[in-house]
This record gives sequence, C-alpha cells and structure tokens, in this order.
Amino acid sequence: MHQSAAVAQFDRLLAPVHRWIWRNDERRLQKLLRFGETEVDGGRDILRAAEVTRDPLLRRLYLVHAVDEHRHGGLFRRRAAALLSAWPSSSRPTFQADWISPGGHGLDDLKVDEETDDTMLAFLHLSEKAAASRFTVYRDVLQSDLGTRAVFEEILHDEMFHMNYTLTQLVRVSPERHRHHLWRARLRRIWKGYLRLATALAGVLGGLLLTIQYFVLLPPFVWFARRAERQEPRGWTPISPARNRSLMNEY
Amino acid sequence: MSIEMKILGISAHYHDSAAAVVVDGVPVCAVQEERLSRHKSDAAFPLSAIEWCLEHAGIEPAALDAVVFYERPMLKFDRILTCALRAFPHSWSAFPKAMKNSLGEKLWVRGIISSYLGVPGRKILFTEHHQSHAAAAFLTAPTRRAAILTTDGVGEWATLTVGHGERHPDGATSITLLREIRFPHSLGMLYSTFTAYLGFAVNEDEYKVMGLAGYGRPTMVDKVRKVIRRTPDGAFALDLDYFEFHTTARRSYSSKFVELFGPPRNRYEPIDLQTEDGQRFADCAASVQRVLEDMLVEIARALHEETGLSDLCLGGGVALNGVANARVLAESGFERLFVPPAPGDAGCAVGAALYADRIHFKNADREVPDHPFWGPSVDGLELARIAREDSQIVDELDEHTLIDRTADDLAAGRIVGWMEGALEFGPRALGHRSILTAPHSAAMRDRLNRDIKYREQFRPFAPVVPIEAAERYFVLPSGGTRLARFMSGVFPVRPEWQGRLEAVTHVDGTARVQALERDMAPRLHALLEAYAQRSGMPVLLNTSLNLAGEPIVNRAVEGYSTFLRSGIDVLVADRTRVTKRGSYLTKRKEEVHAQEA
Repeated sequence: MHQSAAVAQFDRLLAPVHRWIWRNDERRLQKLLRFGETEVDGGRDILRAAEVTRDPLLRRLYLVHAVDEHRHGGLFRRRAAALLSAWPSSSRPTFQADWISPGGHGLDDLKVDEETDDTMLAFLHLSEKAAASRFTVYRDVLQSDLGTRAVFEEILHDEMFHMNYTLTQLVRVSPERHRHHLWRARLRRIWKGYLRLATALAGVLGGLLLTIQYFVLLPPFVWFARRAERQEPRGWTPISPARNRSLMNEY
Repeated sequence: MSIEMKILGISAHYHDSAAAVVVDGVPVCAVQEERLSRHKSDAAFPLSAIEWCLEHAGIEPAALDAVVFYERPMLKFDRILTCALRAFPHSWSAFPKAMKNSLGEKLWVRGIISSYLGVPGRKILFTEHHQSHAAAAFLTAPTRRAAILTTDGVGEWATLTVGHGERHPDGATSITLLREIRFPHSLGMLYSTFTAYLGFAVNEDEYKVMGLAGYGRPTMVDKVRKVIRRTPDGAFALDLDYFEFHTTARRSYSSKFVELFGPPRNRYEPIDLQTEDGQRFADCAASVQRVLEDMLVEIARALHEETGLSDLCLGGGVALNGVANARVLAESGFERLFVPPAPGDAGCAVGAALYADRIHFKNADREVPDHPFWGPSVDGLELARIAREDSQIVDELDEHTLIDRTADDLAAGRIVGWMEGALEFGPRALGHRSILTAPHSAAMRDRLNRDIKYREQFRPFAPVVPIEAAERYFVLPSGGTRLARFMSGVFPVRPEWQGRLEAVTHVDGTARVQALERDMAPRLHALLEAYAQRSGMPVLLNTSLNLAGEPIVNRAVEGYSTFLRSGIDVLVADRTRVTKRGSYLTKRKEEVHAQEA
C-alpha cells in the first residue's frame, strides 16, 4: 500500500513555470508565507477531524498529522522570516496586515463535521498526494536556494507519511469501497477546482460591472453626498427619541 | 403580551457571530459560533449556535415570539454606500468589494433568518448596533439606574453613544441614548488602525497593542493627538488625511500617517524590543493607548457630571481594554463600572434579545444572573472514554479528592487544563475553560508562552483570586472588585507581592485580575483555597484553554486534543482527571512509522 512521491505529469509540465516563479525573491517570499498559512489552516481542519472521529486510531493519526501541518506552517514562516531578514532594509517589501476580518468561509473550505471517516481519508490522501507531487517539483527547481530546498525536503518526508497512512487507513475503514471513495474524491477535487475557477471568473466580471456602474451611475449622487457631509456637525450628533421607536425596520 | 416570551438574539456577519435565547425575560443560553464551528472569530451566520441554543432551551423555531438581529443591515449599507460616494473617485477599488460583500448575504438578513428558521418576517426585529451594546451592558448589570457609554469601531453609523438606563419601580425599563459620534470618527477605528500599523490583525489582536503598550513610553502622544482631535463640544474627530479605512479596503492608514509615525511593522517580523524599531512600535502602542484612555476618561467624566449617576455601564469592543476601564473607574467620578463578560459584538446577541423583551415588548424587568457561563456543558465521561482509548492515566474522583489532587498538581508546578460546567460567553476564560498554573515565577510564564500558547513574549497572563483576598495582592480602587469580576480591569499588583506573582505581573507592575466570587464558580474557588493551603497564597494564573489561533475549547474532546498537542500536564473535565503519558504524539508517530514500514 506504500506510495512514493511520484510527480504528476501536469506538475512536471509546469516545472519551467515554477522555476520562473521561485527565481524571484519577492515571489518566493510571498509563496512561503502563503504556504505557511495554508499548512496551518489545513492543520486546523485535520485537528477538527481528530475531534469528530469515533475511531481511536484515526484520532491519534489525525492529531499527529495536525501537529505536522502546524510545524510545517512554522517552517515556512521561519524560512520566509530568514529570507526577509537578509533583505536590504531599504528595499524590503511590506505586507499589509488584514484590517478587515474575512466573513464566512470560501467554497474551498472543507466542512469536516459533515465528512465521514472514509470520505475524509480519501480527500486527505489525494490532497497529500497532490502536495507531495507539487513540493517535489518545488524542491527540484530550488537548486540555488538550499535553505528553502531543505524546508521542502523536510516537509516532503512528512507528506509521504501522510499520503501513506491515509491510504492504509482508508483501506482499513472501507475495505470494499475504498476505490469508490477515491474516485469520488477525485471528482470532487475537479468540481471544486471548477468552482474555484468559476468563482474567480465571476468575481472578475462582477468587479468589472460594479466598477463600470461606479463611474457611470454614482457621479450624479456624489455632489449630494458631499453636500450632506459638509452639513453634518462635527462632534456629537443628538439621537432623536423617535428614531428607534420601531424594531421592525431594517433602516 | 405573551406570558412566557421566547426571544432569539443573533449577531452575525462582521466578526464573532453569536446566538442567545431569552425566555421570560431571562437569558437561558448564549454561545459564540466560533466555539462550535472551531473557526476563530467566525463571522458566518451562526446556524450552529442558533441550533444549539434552541435545542438547549427546548424551543422549536415556530414557538419563538421574536428573532432579533443586533443591527440594521440597510442602515449599515447606507453608510457603506454613502462613504463610497463621499470618497469618489478614490473609492473605486473598494466599491466593488464592498458591494459584493454587502449584496451577497449581509443585506438580506430578514430573508436569511426566515428561510433558515421558518419564522414569518413579522417576527424578525432589528435593534440598532449600539442599542444592542447598551442593552447588553445595562440590562445584564445589577444596577437600577446607570449612565451608559458604548464605543467600538462602527455599527451602522454610530461609533460611540452616551445615554442612561433605568429600571423603574413599576417594572418598566428604559434605555435612552442621548447622542452619538458618527463614522468615520471612531475610537475603535483609531485603535484598529494602530493595530494594523503595528502589524497585528484587526478585530483580533487589539489586546496585543495593549500588552505591547506596557513596554513603551507614551512619547508620541502629541503625534496621536494630531490624528484625533477634541471638538469644542467635548467629542472628538479624526483627521481623515491620516486614514484610509473609510475609502479603501486595502489599508487603514495613509501615507501621511506613515510620514508621521515612521514605517509600519511588517507582520511577519517579530517585535524585538531591544531594537530601535521595536521600541518605536512599543512607544507607538503606549501613545495610542494613553490617548484612548484620556478620551474615554474625559467623555465618561462629562457624562457623570451630566447625569449625576453613580454607576456607568460600558459596552462595545473598546470596553475590552482593561487598562482604559480601570482609568475610567478611577478618574471619571463614577463609583461603579459595569462591563459585561462579552462587551463586543457577540454580546449583542444577548443585548438585542433583552432590548426587544424590555423595551419593544415592554415586559417587566427581571433580574439577570450575574455570570458568564451560558454555553454548552462539558462531559467528563466523554473525556474519560477518549483518554482510556488512548491508554492515558484516567482517574474519576469525588469532588474533594479532585480538588486536593489538582491543588497538589499546581503546587508541584504542573500545568492544568481545567474544564467544568457551562462554557463562558465572551472572549475571556473565567474559570470554566481555563489553563491554570502557579503564578509565582517568570519561568512559568515563559514556559506557558513557549510550550502552550506559542505566543509573543510581551503578552501578559492574568491571575484569578477569591474576591475576599483580592485587595491583599492587588491595588483595587473602590468598585475595582466589580470590574475584576469578568477580568475587565487592569490594576497594580502590590509591590510586596510582585516578586511572588512574577508570572502574572506585567512589565509595568499591573495585572488583569479576575476577582472570583464563590457563588460564580464554587469549584474553582475551592481550588484556590486548597492551593492557598499549599502555597500560602490563593492566587493562580488563569489563561484560556486554547492554543494560538484557535477558539477557546468547548467540548471535552477539544480540551483533550489541546492537552495532547501542548505542554499541559493534567486535564480535568468535571470529575475526570487525565495525566499525560510522556511525549505521547511523538511516540505514536514513531510507532505508526514502524508499522507502515
């Protein structure tokens, strides 16, 4: 049941693109930081899986896995910090802290509480396999940055363990239907990939339409808004007792 | 008028969603969505929280008399749209994001509630955001008459309101908000802007700014006073040239702000207080903290003079600033200051439901239990089962033995995860989901930071002490024990005890103390007394039972996973006590690797 980190054909084809991406220092930094966040987020999902499963062995394995993911997040962040500290302070890139917390969860968000052990394991196995394939390519293209390469090397070792235990356990908990679950998980990944793409496209189109409306529809009202702003007193504004008489209104 | 009215309160969509149920004028349960979904500061519509609340209260949605949302979505949208118009054309990049954000879900609250719960639209009510804060602060406080001050980032338009509330002898209740300061002029946004500037996450990490402030000197107060100025009528106004939060979602401060205060901190670089930049950031935090305190004290003092009342109820996210609260209590003239355990947006779920009950439906006033424990209860048997499956050392003990054994653990320098009864509502762990340990040495604080909480060294830990012993160790002004009930104030540690309370004494000699009344958490109170018999001092370090980036644990299994992944030595849930066997996770991984091989 052991699998080694075979590089997917698709990832192999994209190797020149990855080489181009990782060659640039700022992009490398951004990638490492993003990976750091992704690993920690993934770790939280796996932790949740450990908390909801009724299977003691799976709980133990998931906890080990979650700790690994958290550690990977730290490895990526520390590597990014090391690269950042080596950067000349005059040209150091600045990353803004998010100042509005995100609301709700994205499409890609895994609803762990709704997964069964077998669907969760199938999902994790494919995710780990894909990550191992991708990380192998990253490791190979990072020949000039031995520090970052070592990070991927170390993480790959864990990814192999994750990839293998998820498959072994999937066969254990679902001996008859594990292939079926893997196929379903593959289809689900394709569907989610499509949804991500479609959402991104819809987001771009929606943004474009709203921007057009902004410049076409809003200008006539700008004058009124600014005039009202000028008339607003600075400091305290009295609250009329009549304002909150009814709780039926949304405005 | 219904005899036993059942009201569901909801806060959602911005940060820290929550639900609460009020039956016959008294809250029966409340929980934040993050505690159930396990996503920190979960802002999603709190379906899990609603389901749990209704199930716990034994109410079918159809039996609800009202569902109250904590703010008015259309009024909020009005503000967002108006701000986009005022900032035209600079708001062009923010506009599509703001519209997509609002038009997706946030604007259709009545429909969403109606479709999720199946209640008719006429039963769905809306309070104003600051009315909800005011109600959460006043209607949960044991006072007949009080001035009210609410302040946060922003609700619909208001960012700060003042008023008063009264419980009349005939049972009627009134809450009157007299005046407000409107967006974009906001103390909360000022603090959040500095939070972002200092490289922390807005709406999450404001308390880190407060912790960092202890390491700095307020050398930049004059600069901060340039960006926020008093108005002749005693309010304040931001100089908007220094801010961008009202025009763009990209960042909250402008280039002019950076010119004034210097380059912002990169969030990925640790703060090193030995460096010039690190000290500048600490000074910056100390300066904005000082200005915030000064503003709050002056506004509260004016409110005291205007109303002549002796009690003040403080609500809104800014009320989580314990240092400012302590100064308001000491300097504003009010004798008592009431801050609810959940003064932020989550608490608005309770506030909105109570407001509807007392003010809209005009139900008679009822006394609200004065504790923060409104969430799901922990199941000690669940912990015993899971821990036994993992071959951990499990003891199921009677109450007396459990207290003794735990006090022994604490006296021996062990770190204890402590879970009992119902989960706290609000951001503080107040003794039902806590990590407890001896408070005496700085080494313990460093161990907690390093092995358990994985967090910055500059962040302090809080002590818990029985209310009757609080003044022996801490300098509490008149009314201080009330403020310390829900850990809402920061007070000096008496100099003679600072050496024995190193782990909970901040660099400036203060502590965010919890003064515990026996009735509120009898078991923890007994533990403090048992610990005093061993150490001579009834004080423990009390920090929330969670790891960095995770919500406070709710169920036993979540406490157990936290226990396994951290340096906690002993975990207690109800009457179950679990002791860890070695470095459990490492051992398991080696075993599994061997099996796989």
